Amino acid sequence: MIILAALLLIGGGVYWLTHREGRRADEPRFGTGVSAPAVQVPAPPTGEPVEIVVSGLTKRYGEVTAVDDLSFVVRPGRVTGFLGPNGAGKTTTLRVLLGLAAPTSGTTTIGGKRYGDLDRPIRRVGAVLEGTSAHPSRTGRDHLRIVCRAGGVPMERADEVLAMVGLTADGRRRVIGYSLGMRQRLGLAAALIGNPEVLVLDEPANGLDPHGIRWLRDLLRSLADQGRTVLVSSHQLAEVQALADDVVIVSAGRLVAHGAVDSVLDSLARPTRTLVRTPEPERLREQLGETAVVTPGPGTDIYVSGMDAEQIAEAAQRAGVAVYQLTTERPDLEDVFLKLTGGVAT
Amino acid sequence: MTTVDSPAIARDTHTRVNPVWQVQAELMKIRTTRLWWFFFVGILLVSAVALLRNGAAHHYELFPPLDQYPENERAQAAAQAVQSATDAGHAAIAADMLTSGQFLGVLLAMLLGVLSTTGEYAHKTAASTFLTNPRRGAVIVAKLAAAVMVASLLWVISTVLDFFVTPFYLSSQHIHMSLATWVPVRSVLLNLLAYAMWAIFGVGLGALFQSQVGAVVAGVGVYLGGAGAVLLIFNLIYQAYHHTWVLGAPVIAPAVASLVMITPGRAFDHAPPQWAGLLVMVGYVLTFGIAGLLRTRRREI
Repeated sequence: MIILAALLLIGGGVYWLTHREGRRADEPRFGTGVSAPAVQVPAPPTGEPVEIVVSGLTKRYGEVTAVDDLSFVVRPGRVTGFLGPNGAGKTTTLRVLLGLAAPTSGTTTIGGKRYGDLDRPIRRVGAVLEGTSAHPSRTGRDHLRIVCRAGGVPMERADEVLAMVGLTADGRRRVIGYSLGMRQRLGLAAALIGNPEVLVLDEPANGLDPHGIRWLRDLLRSLADQGRTVLVSSHQLAEVQALADDVVIVSAGRLVAHGAVDSVLDSLARPTRTLVRTPEPERLREQLGETAVVTPGPGTDIYVSGMDAEQIAEAAQRAGVAVYQLTTERPDLEDVFLKLTGGVAT
Repeated sequence: MTTVDSPAIARDTHTRVNPVWQVQAELMKIRTTRLWWFFFVGILLVSAVALLRNGAAHHYELFPPLDQYPENERAQAAAQAVQSATDAGHAAIAADMLTSGQFLGVLLAMLLGVLSTTGEYAHKTAASTFLTNPRRGAVIVAKLAAAVMVASLLWVISTVLDFFVTPFYLSSQHIHMSLATWVPVRSVLLNLLAYAMWAIFGVGLGALFQSQVGAVVAGVGVYLGGAGAVLLIFNLIYQAYHHTWVLGAPVIAPAVASLVMITPGRAFDHAPPQWAGLLVMVGYVLTFGIAGLLRTRRREI
C-alpha cells in the first residue's frame, strides 16, 4: 500500500511537473500600442570577419534526400537570407552547420572550422533554431544565466542581453507565460550572449508583429554593419526582401539561386518592362525603333521592354508624342521565388 | 553599446571551454525548475513513511505478540525475536532504520537522472545545450556528475532524518548501542553509493529513450516490476529444479542487486553476499552510463 501510494504520488508529481500548462500572457509589448525598444547595438566582434562555407552538403534520411549537394558561402558584413519553401532543407542545413546533425557527405565550416571544433562556440556563433525553446517552468533570466554558465560568460551578461531585446521587465517571469514573440526575443538574447561574430537564425521573425519585425530588421542591420556574418532562414519572401542583402534560395534540397538580392532579381526574373500611358501609341512605337519590344497594355497604354524609361521619354520627346505616365515594373522576389521553386511557397 | 558598455564581455578572457562550467549549468537547470521541490518533498515523505514502516516491523520482530500468532508460526517468531535481540540483530535493526527511505529514495534518484536527460528533449532545450557545448560526451558526463551530486543531497536529507529519529526509536525499543559501529555506518555509506549509482543509471536510461514518459515508465518498471518479476520467475524455476543457487539468482535484477548491496548479512533467504550486489550494480551503471553517452553522441537534434 505504501509503495502504491508513493508510486501514485511520484507518478502524479512527474506528470504534473512535465505536462502542466499555464496561462499564456496576452500577446504583449509590440503592436499593442507599446512601442518596441530602440535597438541597442551590442559590442562589435573582437575577431576577424568570419565566413560560413557550405560545400557539397548532402543529407539523407533513409530514402529521403533532405539536402542535395548544396554549396554556398555566406559573407561577413552582410545579412544573408536563406530562402525556400517549407521542406526545402533549410533547417536541416542549419542543423548540420551547427553540429546538431551529421552530414551524409560534404562539409560545413564557420571561419574554416567545423562547429564542433570551435574552441568556444558561444563566443563565435549565436544561433536560434526553430523548435528550440527554454524550459517552460524556468524564468527567461534563469534560462539565459544557464547559457552564460555553460558557456563560461559572466552571469551579468544575461541581464545585458535581456535589456538588448527588451525583455528586462519580463525576465523573472516563467517562460510558460511568454508569447511566441517574447520567446523569439529570448532566443535572440541567448544567441547574443557570447557577442558572437556569426549569427544563424532560423525563422526568427515567426511570431513577431510588424513592430517586432522592424526591430529585428534594425538589429540585424546593425549587427551586419559591425562586420558580423548574419544568416537568416525564412520561408517568408517579403521578410527576406526586407531583411537581407544577399539571398540563397533552395528548393527540394538543391541550390536554386545565390547572390545579392538585386542581382538575383535581375538575373533570374523576366526583363523589366515599362508601362507607357500615351494617346498616340503607334507614333511612339515608330519612334522607339526595333530595339524596343512593344506589347498592348490596358486601353491605349503600351508595355515597352528592351529600353529603360529614360530612353522611352527621350524618344517621345523627339517625336513630339505626349506621355502622361511612365512606370517601370520590376518583379519582386516573390515572383522569382515562386517561379524558381515551382510555386510551392507557403 | 560598445565593448566598454558590456562589462560582462570585457571580463570574459577564457579561451577554451572548462568542463566545470557545464556541471554548474546542469546543477542550475535542476535548481531553477519546480522539479527541485518535488524531489525535496518526495525524499522527506518517503523517508518519514519508511521510518514508520520499519519501526513498526522491527518492533513486532523484537516483541512478537506470540499469543496472536498461529500455533505453527510461534516457534519461528520466537526464534526471530531471540536472534533480533542479539548484538548482531540490534546492529541490523539500527542499519535498517538508518537507511529508511532507501527503497523509494533511490527511485527518486533514478527519476532525477532520467528527467535531467529526457527533459532536454521533451522541452526542446537540447539544441540550446549542445550549441553552447557541442562536445556531447562532456555534456553527458556533466549531467552524470550533477545527478550524482543532487542524488547525494537527497541521501543527505534522508540520512539526516533517519539519524535524528533512529536513536529515539532504538531507545524506545530498549536497544542501547552506538550508531558509530561499523555495520550501520557501512550500510549508510553503501546507501549513498546506491543513490549515486541509480542516478547514473537514470541518466543513461533517459539518454537511450526518445520519450520522457517512456523512460520514466521503463525506469520505474525496471525498479519495481522488474524485481518482482525476477523473484517470481526464479521462484518458479526453483520449484522445478530445486537448486538453491536459483533462489539467489534474482540479484541479476538491478533493484534486487541494490537491496543486496546495502543489506547487512543476507537480504533474503539464499541471497548472495553484498559484494555480488555491488558487482551487479556496477555492471548496470557502466552499461547504461556508456550506452547513454554513445547514444547521445550519435543522436540528431
